[in-house]
Formats: sequence, structure tokens, C-alpha cells
Amino acid sequence: MRYIPVIGLEIHAELQTASKVFCGCANEFGGAPNDRVCPRCSGLPGTLPVLNKNAVILAARAGIAVDGTVNNYSSFDRKNYFYPDLPKAYQITQFEHPISSGGFIEIGGRKLRIHHLHIEEDAGKLVHDDYECISMADYNRCGVPLIEIVTEPDFRTIEEVQQFVEQMALRLKYAGVCDARMEQGSMRVDVNISIMPEGSDVFGTRAEIKNLNSIKAIGRAIEYEIKRQSEILDAGGQVVQETRRFNDNHGDTKALRSKEEAHDYRYFPEPDIPPVFLSDEEIEEIRAQVPEMPNKRVERYIGEYGLTAEEAALIVSDREFSDFYDKSAAASGCYKKTASLMLVGLNKLLNENPTPVSELKFGTRELSELALLWEENKINSNSAMEILEIMYAHGGTPAEIAGKHGMIMSADSDAAEKAVDKVLAENAKAAQDYKAGNKKLFGFLMGRAIGELGKSANPAVIKEILNKKL
Amino acid sequence: MKLKELRKKLDNKEIGAVELTRENLDAIKGDVCNSYITVCEEEAISAAREAQLLIDSGKALPMTGIPVSVKDNICTKGIRTTCASKMLEDFIPPYDASVVEKLKSQKTVILGKTNMDEFAMGGSSQTSYFGGVKNPADTSRVTGGSSGGAAASVAAGLCAAALGSDTGGSIRQPSAFCGVVGLKPTYGRVSRYGLIAFASSFDQIGPIAKSAEDTGYILSAIAGRDENDMTARCGSEDFTALCGKLPKGLKIGLPKEFFEGSDPGIAAAVSEAAQSYKELGAELIECSLPSLEYAVSAYYLISSAEAASNLSRFDGVKYGHRSADGDSFMELIENSRSEGFGSEVKRRIMLGNYALSSGYYDAYYKNASRIRTKIKAEYDDIFSRCDIVLTPTAPTTAYPIGFQENDPVKMYTADICTVTANIAGLPSVSIPCGADENGLPIGMSLTGRYMDEKLIIAAADAFERL
Amino acid sequence: MISTEVTKHLAQLSRLSFKEDELAEMTNQMSDIIALMDKVCDFDNNVKTYAPKEEKFNNLRCDKPRNSYPTEEIIGNSKAVRDNCFVVPKVV
Repeated sequence: MRYIPVIGLEIHAELQTASKVFCGCANEFGGAPNDRVCPRCSGLPGTLPVLNKNAVILAARAGIAVDGTVNNYSSFDRKNYFYPDLPKAYQITQFEHPISSGGFIEIGGRKLRIHHLHIEEDAGKLVHDDYECISMADYNRCGVPLIEIVTEPDFRTIEEVQQFVEQMALRLKYAGVCDARMEQGSMRVDVNISIMPEGSDVFGTRAEIKNLNSIKAIGRAIEYEIKRQSEILDAGGQVVQETRRFNDNHGDTKALRSKEEAHDYRYFPEPDIPPVFLSDEEIEEIRAQVPEMPNKRVERYIGEYGLTAEEAALIVSDREFSDFYDKSAAASGCYKKTASLMLVGLNKLLNENPTPVSELKFGTRELSELALLWEENKINSNSAMEILEIMYAHGGTPAEIAGKHGMIMSADSDAAEKAVDKVLAENAKAAQDYKAGNKKLFGFLMGRAIGELGKSANPAVIKEILNKKL
Repeated sequence: MKLKELRKKLDNKEIGAVELTRENLDAIKGDVCNSYITVCEEEAISAAREAQLLIDSGKALPMTGIPVSVKDNICTKGIRTTCASKMLEDFIPPYDASVVEKLKSQKTVILGKTNMDEFAMGGSSQTSYFGGVKNPADTSRVTGGSSGGAAASVAAGLCAAALGSDTGGSIRQPSAFCGVVGLKPTYGRVSRYGLIAFASSFDQIGPIAKSAEDTGYILSAIAGRDENDMTARCGSEDFTALCGKLPKGLKIGLPKEFFEGSDPGIAAAVSEAAQSYKELGAELIECSLPSLEYAVSAYYLISSAEAASNLSRFDGVKYGHRSADGDSFMELIENSRSEGFGSEVKRRIMLGNYALSSGYYDAYYKNASRIRTKIKAEYDDIFSRCDIVLTPTAPTTAYPIGFQENDPVKMYTADICTVTANIAGLPSVSIPCGADENGLPIGMSLTGRYMDEKLIIAAADAFERL
Repeated sequence: MISTEVTKHLAQLSRLSFKEDELAEMTNQMSDIIALMDKVCDFDNNVKTYAPKEEKFNNLRCDKPRNSYPTEEIIGNSKAVRDNCFVVPKVV
């Protein structure tokens, strides 16, 4: 029996705010245990939550980034359960009226829909000591603002899931919402997966998979689950609805020791936080803060500028890089050459010595000048790359550098003619063989001529003269 | 002596702040009513000294040097705050409640923390882990609750005024039983930051004093928007501004259901008291709050639901009583909670979880919430025709200690006259308006429009002057 | 009249435990209380549930980190602390 997986995702992303969502403790990573806490986030009696405005802004941006609808009215609810990493024994979340509804990301021509995204607070961390049989609770992470993004169960392949998660991470980074580092835990993905017989449209019972710390782990876990659930169904059994933990070392999932009963979370409206009202104008102001998303840029790069899909994907993989490209290419109008300069030249340099684009020793203006020089045939491609390297190391402007190093090609044919004559004289046999039919030798003769002229060699002019003389 | 007069005497140096504080501390030593759980002798004297310095430099503020008691569910930094519960017997908050900060910034003298029903749940102040409170008017009787210690401390002259808290009547009812004045402000008038939460959408801190003007005087000092409490949005003002200047032609509504639900003696006394307002040019108007019959149930469902959630944090792990038994996390917290909480608290938690639990939420919590909307609307309707609503504060006077102790339902239904003000978030003040055949105080409540404390205080003050 | 099963379930949600005799008394009391609460069950469904007045987005707290409390003040009231962490019996 062939089964189709039906997958939905719950993605938790830590918002990049300066302080926690309901108190003023700093929103940072790590720290000594319980050294970034206050009476509020450690659940002391008498304390009250105070909502962080920036958390609402970032959550709204996330909704906009995925084409969702930011709701004018949203409110908070309590989710009640007991666990040592939850000091108040309830989590403040949004159950009835989330900050954003709907949305989608298109992967491979399919719209993978988002049901909603909501704001909630993170819980603390537990460290277990097996020898002493104790768990130790550190509340530093309590109150870190999260958004939870809940998708519809639209996914049918592993690739769709992985690409969606990658896209989501990229969009959240673009929107300045989250740094989306799965390995560090700032973005966590839980997978809900069931399988159904091919041709059926009745969803099966789903299992929830947690502890997926990388895109690769997501793929392995889903693969394992499909196999596990298929075997159960083939044997005539039933898949149990449960939470399972992925084990990266073994590549399998195991049911978490089943709790005594399914939690009854007893959601009810959070009385300490009034509902929040965002006017349409305020939502538009937030929308203006969200830059163009990577998918729209890719459309533009391919459709309007004639870049290849690969080039486009590489450029948008970092927002600053893409912004730099946009500004520079728009100024010069040389879209292909700018792409070439950045992807071939700049990337190589950045790989050796990673630098934020904002800290480069040259700006978009210099890059667009360079692209223009190249486009107008005033310098050749080698020179272009060399100028880029020099600007990267020392700054300066392309015209300056080209002049200093004698890279300006002239359209003047005298020098070129002299050089070609010399080459043909020195390589008379090769010239003869070419005329006799060995066309490969043209490149050899070109190379010699270019070598004669050095940096100011203008390949186009040399080619023309050489062709004439042969 | 009213607080305004006390202020003058302090500023004129007729009375010294330290002397005044010592007088109160001495009186507390002779207290037979068990009004205080913790007395802060050292801190009080120290604060009185600082107050005197302020007075000497001519910079005294309204509450400088005034000795007050604070209900023991309001956090005081470095001073144990117990909520009259074994669960918090030795809990020492690392921070001050906002109202305490405000008072301290004026160099008010805090004499100590007063006794109460455990976690503010109750109407008798008999559920305290530290022993029940006796009514100074008759020590064989209850003070009412849950701010029984606060009311008794005022009635017995063990402080100049007190801070209590009111969730379903906990300031007003003990004030009525003890013969003093108690004010529950508009919901959102006084910050709840540092008030150990019982029912978050009902709780308010408020003053208990000997006169209506005094409650206004204190309210001005503790009220105000607070960045620590998103629900404290009302701001402060001079709440005594209309005292002695009660507008003529006041329309006073008497909702019949409240009188029908009280002891005939009480109903008669309060009706008669109402008549006196005619001398002040007021008009008495009969009106109705038809949903009153649902009020007690709706109040108990919502408040218990919020309480169940608010009290979930008490597990002995971060603070509070920690059981010696418990091999697993769940066992440990179950034991700590079962050992640390009294019966009434347990009942409320269970009721709250009942109302919120899967399958019951719609029928109980949601319906209670609808009733809340309706009661609010009915009050809006009354206030479109009246300026003040006048009712008995409690259906009975103070009953003997031990009476109806094991009858929760009877206790709950006795809240009928007070809970609607909490449900609707409206300000309400209780003042003595007479005594019953045993000489026990009878209280009447004046409830006002949203944020209209000034008017009800003035109306109460006017009654006192008659 | 509710059953002891219901009482036990509520006790579990509440993380409270009762001995057998306490359970019986609690069940009786809860039954009486719930009977009083049942009054709300037949209230008009057409009335909207209560919602407090909204807060304007602009009035929300500014995102500035403020001093956290010293660790000792936060853990100071706990009876079981190790390495500045709160200690509980090991959980899953």
C-alpha cells in the first residue's frame, strides 16, 4: 500500500526584542542561571505582566511577511498546566484572537497555507541530574517573546517542508523579526504528521514530532515517521495520537513517556492584559517597515533583469547583500554585470573573510561605477574583478584605480594593430596553421596579443583586427 | 479626628510623628482582636523619624507621618507577607507593592500587616492560618471579611487608617460589620501590582477609615496610572473635592432586589437612612437590577476561575511551604499545596477548575461572563436616570464566631449586596447608618458611576454630617 | 449531587490530594456549591461575553531593558536551590 504523508507545522520563533515580552528583563541568550530574571518572569506572587510594544510590532511584521492579515483586535489568554519550567503554572498566549490570521508561502507552485500566527511567552530551561534524580530550573528564558506560526496540513513531501522552513527563516530574517537559527534554538519546528492511502482524502491520526534542530533532521524525522506509520497501518494497527521526540543520533522517534492524561489547558481570557487595538494606519506603518520579501525579489531578478534562477537565489540569501545589489544595480542599470561582480568577485572575498556588507570599504555607488566601466567596455572582465579586489582591501573609486593601474582600454586601434602585427610576425607558423583550418589557434593568438598589451588590452578590438589580418 | 485635622496637628508640631506612632504601637500591644499578623515596630519608628524630618523642613506631603495598617496580601519589601496562609507563612517579598511605594515616598508610617481570610477568600476573617479576627464592637462576633483585620484595626483605634482589598465585598462588608467606612475604588483606579492576586478582574485595593472624607484623602495618595499594571488606567485626583459641597437635586436609586434580599431589620434601617438624603435636596428613585439573582453565581464562577489560575503558582518550589514528601514533581507540588492551603481556598480552586474545565467552560464560565455584561448594562441603565445607587452593604449584621462556618453556600449568598459593584467595576463606599437591636453596626453602600468616587464620597460625607 | 469521580478529577486539575474522609466531605460541599452555580446554566446565550475596554497600541510599554533583580532576591525564598537553580524531583 502506498501512503501519502499529510504534514502540518508549528514553528516557534524568538522575537528580536530588546526586553522580554511581559517584563523589562533583557532578551538575550545564555547567562548564568537565574541572573536575568525579575519577580514577574519568575512568577512571584503579586506581579503583573506588562506587554512589550515591540513584540506586537515584530509579530505583526511576521504576519505581513507571510501575506497574512494583521488583526485590528487581538487579545491574550492563559494556558494552564503544571511543569517546573513554567513559574506561573500558566503560559500567557493567544488562543481566541491572534495577532495575525491566514497567509501562505508558495513552494514549487503550491500555496502552503498558514492558519495563523500568535504571540506567546517562552518557558524556562530544565537541566537534569540523573545521579541525584533532580531537575534544576533556570528561568532566564521565561518570558522571551515567541511567535508561533501554525500552518494548515498542506504539505505532502519532505522537500516542500524543508524549503518552506528555509523560506520562512529567510522571511523572518528579512523582516527583522527573528535571526532564525535552528541550531541555536531561536527557531524551533514541530512537525505534525499522519499518512493516508494514496487516492484517499481522509486524514489519518497524526503524531507530533519535536526536537528537530536542523533542516536535515526534519527530513530524516519525516522519513522515519512515514516508514513507522506505514508499517503500523500495513500490519492492521492504528497510529496513536501522541508526541514523539526525534533522536538525532539514531535517526528515529520515540514516544515521550505518556503523561497521565491529556492536558486540559482550561484556556480563558487573560484578565491582566487588556485586548490590544491596532488601527489600520498603525498596521500600514508597520507594513512600511517590512522590506520586499525574497520571493518577490527573485521574481523581479529573473523576470525583469534576466538573471538566472541560481543567481537570483544566491543574491536573496542575505537581505543586506540583496539590498546592496538592488541599490547598486538600479544606479548603473547593469543588472547582469553587477550580479557577476557580486556573486563571482565579492562572494569569494566574503567567503575568505566574512564581513557584513555594511562594513565594506566601498559602497553601492562605487560598485555601480565599476559595473558601468565594464559595461561600456572601458575595462575588461579581468580588470573589473581586480578593481573589486583592490576596493575591497583598500577602498578607492573604480576610475581612480583603473587609471592608476593602466587598465583603461582604448578604442584606439593603433596600439592594438601594432601588437597583432608583432604577434603574427613572431608566430607565423601558427598563423599559417590557422588559415589552413586549425581554428583553435585563434584563441592562442588572441592570448598572445592580449599579453602584449597588458591591462589595457581591449579584447573586442584585438579580435576584430586579428580577424581582418588572418 | 479626621486625617486632614491630624495632618494640621502634625504640621503644627502639636503632635510628633514618632509620638503618634508609639501610641499606635502601644495600642496594638493591647489588641484583643488579633487584627495584626505582623507588627513592624522598628520600621515604623524609623519611618516616623524620617517623616518628622520632612515635617520639620516644611515639605510634608498629605500622608507624611500618618500611621496606617496594610492588609497582609499586599507585598511589603523585606517584611513577611502571608495572605494569612500556611502556604506563605515565611514569604518575604523582594519588592514593594506600588501602593506601598507610593505611601513610602510620602513617608507614611506602616505599622504592620493585618489579618484576613486566607488568600482573601471569605466573608468572616475566620479562615486565617493565624487565628480568626474578633469584632471590636462585640468580640464574640466576626469582623466580616476578608479585610477583617484592617477594619478591626481602624475600629479599635490601632491605626489612623487601613489599606484593605475588595474582590466581592472584602472592604465594604467588614467595614459595615465593624462600624467604620470602607471604599472600593473603580476597577483600575488603584494599581494591583504587589497585591497577591485572588481574582484579577475584580480585585482592588482601597482605604478603610473612620470617615468618608478620610477614605478620599487616602485614595488620592494611592490612586493613579501605573506602568506596572496594565489595568490601572484611571489616574488620581482630589477625591475630597466635593465634601461639604454635595450638589443639590442628587438622584439616588434604590434597587428593590437588594432590599428584598436582606434581613427586614437591615432593609428598614437602610431605607430610613436613605430618607435622610431628602433633607439634602436629593430625590429617591425606585429602580431595579433584574439580574441580581444571577450575580452571586456569576461572581463565584469567574472569581474562582481566576483564583484557581492565580494560585497555581503556589507549589513550594520557588517560595512558600514545601512538603517534605514527594518522590515526583507532581507528588511534591500536590503535597505542598494540600498541606499549605486551607479548606476554603481548596474549594475555590476546585470550583474554578470546574468552571474552566473542558466540557463545562461554555455552560459555566462563559455564561457567567454573559451575566457580567448584562449586569454592567443594567447598571448603565440605572445610572442614566440616577447619580448614585444606595443599598444595604450586607444582608445581616455581624454574626457570632463559628456560626455558618461549615456552610459555604450560606457564606456565598451573603455577598449578594456587594458583588455587583465588583462585577461592574464601579466604585462603592460603605458607611455606618445605624445599629441593630443588639447594637451591632449596620452599613449602607453608595455605589457610583465609573470613576465617580468624588461624588459617592461627598454623599457619604454629607450623611455623616447630618 | 456530583460523584467522587468528579471530585477526584478536579483535585487532579488543581494538584490537590484528599484523604478518603476528606474526599467525601469535599464532594458534599462541592455538590452544594455547584448546585448554586447551576443557576447560570440557563442564561440567555444572545448576550455577548464580557470583554474589557481595549488598550491603544501606542500606549504599550517601550522596549527598553531594565535591571533584572539580583539572583539571591529571586531564589531567596526557595527551600531547595542548587547552582542558583530551583530544584525539583527529576521530570521526564
